[in-house]
Amino acid sequence: MKLLQHLKRRPSVLIYTFFAFLAVLISNKLGISIGNLNQAWVNAGVLWSEMFPPDFSVVTERASWTQTECNWEADWACSAAIHGLVETIQIAFLATLFGMLLSLPLSMMAAHNLSPIGLSVVTRNLLAGLRVLPSLVWALIFVIMFGPGPLAGVLAMTLYTVGYLGKLQYEALEGISRYPLEAARAMGLPRWQVARYFALPEASNAILSQILFMFEYNIRHGSVIGIVGAGGIGWYLSNYLGVFSRYDRALALILVIYIAVVIIDQISLSIRHRFMDSETHAPRARWREIIPFISKRE
Amino acid sequence: MASPILTIRDGSIGFENDKPLLVDVNLELHPGEIVGVIGRSGIGKSTLLRTIAGLISPISGEITTPTERGDIGYIPQRLGLVNHQTVGYNVMMGALPRAPFWQTLFSLPGFELRQSARNAIEAVGLTDKVLDSITQLSGGQQQRVAIARSMVQQPQLLLADECLGELDSETAKEIIQLLQQLANQSNIAIIIVDHNPVRVATFCDRVLQVKGTRIEEVEL
Repeated sequence: MKLLQHLKRRPSVLIYTFFAFLAVLISNKLGISIGNLNQAWVNAGVLWSEMFPPDFSVVTERASWTQTECNWEADWACSAAIHGLVETIQIAFLATLFGMLLSLPLSMMAAHNLSPIGLSVVTRNLLAGLRVLPSLVWALIFVIMFGPGPLAGVLAMTLYTVGYLGKLQYEALEGISRYPLEAARAMGLPRWQVARYFALPEASNAILSQILFMFEYNIRHGSVIGIVGAGGIGWYLSNYLGVFSRYDRALALILVIYIAVVIIDQISLSIRHRFMDSETHAPRARWREIIPFISKRE
Repeated sequence: MASPILTIRDGSIGFENDKPLLVDVNLELHPGEIVGVIGRSGIGKSTLLRTIAGLISPISGEITTPTERGDIGYIPQRLGLVNHQTVGYNVMMGALPRAPFWQTLFSLPGFELRQSARNAIEAVGLTDKVLDSITQLSGGQQQRVAIARSMVQQPQLLLADECLGELDSETAKEIIQLLQQLANQSNIAIIIVDHNPVRVATFCDRVLQVKGTRIEEVEL
């Protein structure tokens, strides 16, 4: 009786118990048990011993098996880590640029406050369709179509960028105040002018911030899609983990990717802060602020 | 007298067919006339303006407004300015309805349009603020930008929804002078919604009061 009274007073205990029970039930159904972990520990021990110490020759030695040609004199510039990383950033840049060019008009068509309902629903479904497959699966499809290399990577990430950025952008457009749009509509302006001259500038801070976020995201994902042969640093990583079984070099590459991602995250975050809205005093969106030294010179 | 710019016959206005906010609305407005609309908050004044602006369909009745693009100017309650852009950009937006297509396509307004924007900015006294962002301006300065946009637009009918808002009496007086200038010099008919009956009586040719679901003319 006391237990029942206690549970009545604190229903959260009941909720936690329920979820714990559900987790055990599902794990049992999937055949996951503590016993499985024993073998994993043995394998992890082997992997650990082969990974350490990391072999940083991947940063200094010229890689003779690069996917794309490398003409730099310096060996480090054509190393698996640096060449792969630069290629990943290049793929991310192109994918973000093409993705942005395609997603901007699509997001305007998808926004409820800018488009007729029919067009909006069709465009939203199209964007959702592009997001159904992760960029890794798109990469697999394009590797089959165009062969391994950066082209497959750019196409895969462009499609995913369109789907993902398009959604972020139409949500930003739908979030703007209705008053500028009403003033524009009362003037008798066609929909495209309302979107281009009123909605887009009003949402520009959020949109610029999202584009930078997407670039950063594409760099992170660029290292994954290489695993299926779509270019970038992932290509080297997958070969060191698979064909060559050089886990020490793979670990060095993982550390390089980690350091690069942390640096790019910080740069992107500090730039994005410039475009973030504050409720009281929203800063003006200025493209030139993307390059900080230009605005400093003023 | 010139033919009316705006005619409303037996208008029923609101969002739900069985619960109209305003019924039996009959109104005629002539060029150069300033009409004030007063009434308590939430009674349907803004809905009336939005219906005239064509943003909401009337439940019933007939509303005749100018049909050309750019003939109706609307200053919403919160002015409807593009906050992340400059004063110059916002004023230029008034030129969009009458600008040639290719100029709007490439954002390249012609000399005449740029000149008219410059003149409007000068008329409202914001020449030194042309490159300032809207968010850097005071409430009164933002009202001026909205009026300058209407000056460039040159509508036949201007609908101003509480554009005097919470302004201090000095600034409100300056904005009223600008509105009067628009009505007298450009022969623009203006409907202005305000919550201050005394202020409205000082500069409007007619004052309409919304009482319940009806609109009555107030004796000045």
